[in-house]
Amino acid sequence: MPVFKTPFNGYSVRFSPFYESRLAVATAQNFGILGNGRVHVIDLAPTGPVINELIAFDTADGVYDVAWSESHDSVLVAAIADGSIKVYDTALPPQSNPVRSLKEHAREVHGLDYNPTRRDSFLSASWDDSVKLWTLDRPVSLRTFREHAYCVYSVAWNPKHADVFASASGDCTVRIWDVREPGSTMVIPGHEHEILSCDWNKYDECLIATASVDKSIKIWDVRNYRVPVSVLNGHGYAVKKVKFSPHRRNLLVSCSYDMTVCLWDFMVEDALVGRHDHHTEFAVGVDLSVLVDGLMASTGWDELVYVWQQGMDPRAS
Amino acid sequence: MATTQSPSPPNSNDDKPQADSAEVVHEANQVQQDVGAEAAKHSVPASVFVNSEPMREDQVSNAVKFLSHPKVRGSPVIYRRSFLERKGLTKEEIDEAFRRVPDPTPSSQPASLNQDGQEKSSSNVQTQAPIQTPQPVAVAPAGIASSVTVARRQFHWNHAVSAVGLLAASGCGTALLIKKVIIPKLKLWVRKVVLEEENDYAKKIDAKPSLVEEAAAAAKAAAAAASDVAKASQEMLNSKNEERRRFEEFMNLMDVQMQEMKSMSNSIRKLEGQANSSGRAFSDHDDHRVSSSSTKQSYANGKVDVNVQPGRSSTPPASAEPPHPKSYMEIMEMIQRGEKPSNIREVNDMPPNPNQQLSNPRIAPRTKPWEAQNGSRHQVLQSQTSAEGLNQNGRDNGLNYLLDDESSTPWWQRKNVRITEIENEDEVKATGPFGVRTNEQPPPLVQRTWVPPQPPPVAMLEAGEAIWRPKSAPKETATQEQSADDQSAAHPSEVTDELQRITKMSESAGAVEMNGGFSTGSSAVKQEQENSYGEN
Repeated sequence: MPVFKTPFNGYSVRFSPFYESRLAVATAQNFGILGNGRVHVIDLAPTGPVINELIAFDTADGVYDVAWSESHDSVLVAAIADGSIKVYDTALPPQSNPVRSLKEHAREVHGLDYNPTRRDSFLSASWDDSVKLWTLDRPVSLRTFREHAYCVYSVAWNPKHADVFASASGDCTVRIWDVREPGSTMVIPGHEHEILSCDWNKYDECLIATASVDKSIKIWDVRNYRVPVSVLNGHGYAVKKVKFSPHRRNLLVSCSYDMTVCLWDFMVEDALVGRHDHHTEFAVGVDLSVLVDGLMASTGWDELVYVWQQGMDPRAS
Repeated sequence: MATTQSPSPPNSNDDKPQADSAEVVHEANQVQQDVGAEAAKHSVPASVFVNSEPMREDQVSNAVKFLSHPKVRGSPVIYRRSFLERKGLTKEEIDEAFRRVPDPTPSSQPASLNQDGQEKSSSNVQTQAPIQTPQPVAVAPAGIASSVTVARRQFHWNHAVSAVGLLAASGCGTALLIKKVIIPKLKLWVRKVVLEEENDYAKKIDAKPSLVEEAAAAAKAAAAAASDVAKASQEMLNSKNEERRRFEEFMNLMDVQMQEMKSMSNSIRKLEGQANSSGRAFSDHDDHRVSSSSTKQSYANGKVDVNVQPGRSSTPPASAEPPHPKSYMEIMEMIQRGEKPSNIREVNDMPPNPNQQLSNPRIAPRTKPWEAQNGSRHQVLQSQTSAEGLNQNGRDNGLNYLLDDESSTPWWQRKNVRITEIENEDEVKATGPFGVRTNEQPPPLVQRTWVPPQPPPVAMLEAGEAIWRPKSAPKETATQEQSADDQSAAHPSEVTDELQRITKMSESAGAVEMNGGFSTGSSAVKQEQENSYGEN
């Protein structure tokens, strides 16, 4: 399984929704505390376990997250620690990039998500407690959602309802929003500690997973959100990111500060179905490919990006 | 504590607190009912992402109590809302609680001062004799009274004020009692004690001689014991001194040995320094980092040993803090000292042309696997065609690879690492171990190979799909048609092929959902597939 070494500490990895073999990696220097950042666009070589870098974009401040456009195959957006969002187009020559710099957030932008159904807009989650809605053709945000009392770490569009999204925040709540409504439509006080990530089930649009500093992942049904559907324990430290599989209804993957990437089946009693501890530092980014069933990637502060097929050892060569 | 102060808002007069509060109660009741009606109307929307629970009265009253607390009043509104949300209240309940609690002044100090003044004035009104000492006594029972009167009722202003008055009165009464009753008792008791002492003293004089003798005997015994003890302690001192002397001798010997060893190590270092270049001294820091990273590598194989480099973070979250890498701690310390890490450089990441046009998309968006659920057969078809469509050249920007016959699938498609070639679609199908989707179609999507599509046919295919499946989202068809228009000019010949293919597929059962996962094979191959599909 191939490995890609980044010069800076990894923060996020995302598969392209257009090209099976393409990924984007967000990295930040000095663990994201202070320093430059870099966005890598990498390709998996088909013949062997090799990863080639297509292009890399340097930024003045660390990059915390990256998201591919769902409408343009060569466009990606990057969340920068100085509060701006940079838009890159890999089809244009490198000196034309970045194409846009959208600066509205007052603090670090920590999460991005592109709308997978309507494909025209994306959300940004920031440590200034707000979520903003953007489109690529406008230099200013369309909406600002300000209700959280602390940093918003992650935001996720609902895979079926194009207007609904969820945001996970350090104020220990997950809020469900509808862009047609002025405020949040639901508040789920999911954990006693900060919630670092949330994601919707792709096959049941009422199920949402939340990952928290309390080392657990909880699955909630928004129709009955007082009690979680399932609680997944097994990580040794805070869970940084959780992602539902685009191909299987019950499968989700998570990465944690305990340096492992775990696979779960939340409908089963013994939910942990796989565990990879290939990282030697915090595993902070994980993604499942929408185009290839079972293909997953992870990155961590150990400056490595692993891409492997589910069921195999990421470190196998 | 809380409720005594809150129900007496600054604007109500002291003369008739009870009357005012009664009026306010009445108004607030009406307001509450109106709000309740409005809330009921709002919680009707059809979306499942809205909380449609009715308002829980106990939660709201708890929230009101919380919000009425003076400390809470001093905190920003957003933290109060956040706390209530974390306790599980819905938005409506929180809004209702905020409505019920009278809007506080921006700073809590004037309010509390006002209320303290009101308390004092009320207690003066209630008591008949102005007494200095009962004032603090009155305040304390008032505080207790407030906690006692935290009842289930909503509007307890009346009760609270009357309770305060009662307790103030009782406090004053007890104070009076103390002065009038207890103090005389104290005096009597003191006199008694004094008389008893005098009697005891007289008795003691009689008993003196015998006591004296006994005391003398006891003193002698004590002296003897003391002398014994003194002897024993002297012996111990002597032994300790001896031990100390021996210890000091030992220490001296050790020092001598240490010095010898130091001199030896110095000489070794000198030898080393002569052997190596002097640059080694400067690279110590890097070596340290390298060694730390190598120790990290050694942990890589299976051992989740989180003691990589035990560190201490500055702001731990409530749960145990995971051990941060050592260089992370170094950087944190550097920044706390005000230093900047040296590896940062100036990067200009502003867009050179903020109005730069984005390039046109080359590929039409592909529907997601979960969207394609309606029509499982179409998934099958896609798999079959994509599997058959091997050995194609992908002509995408950036994906410049050729697939030759041998390595027919990219490595990431293979479920089994042993398989280097995919011989047979059938074999692949058979080894598919997973039931991928909720529908019951057997062949899993995973085994299919995918070859990067050529844009125009894909676009045309999607347009074709749009034609045959009018219920797909209009937006998608719009984008597809647009991209089709953009690219159709470039490949006219292939367009005709595709049109033929589309017409053929329309003849087979059902509409075809051919997502953008296709290769353009030779048309012969495709026709074979269509024939096989038609047979199924």
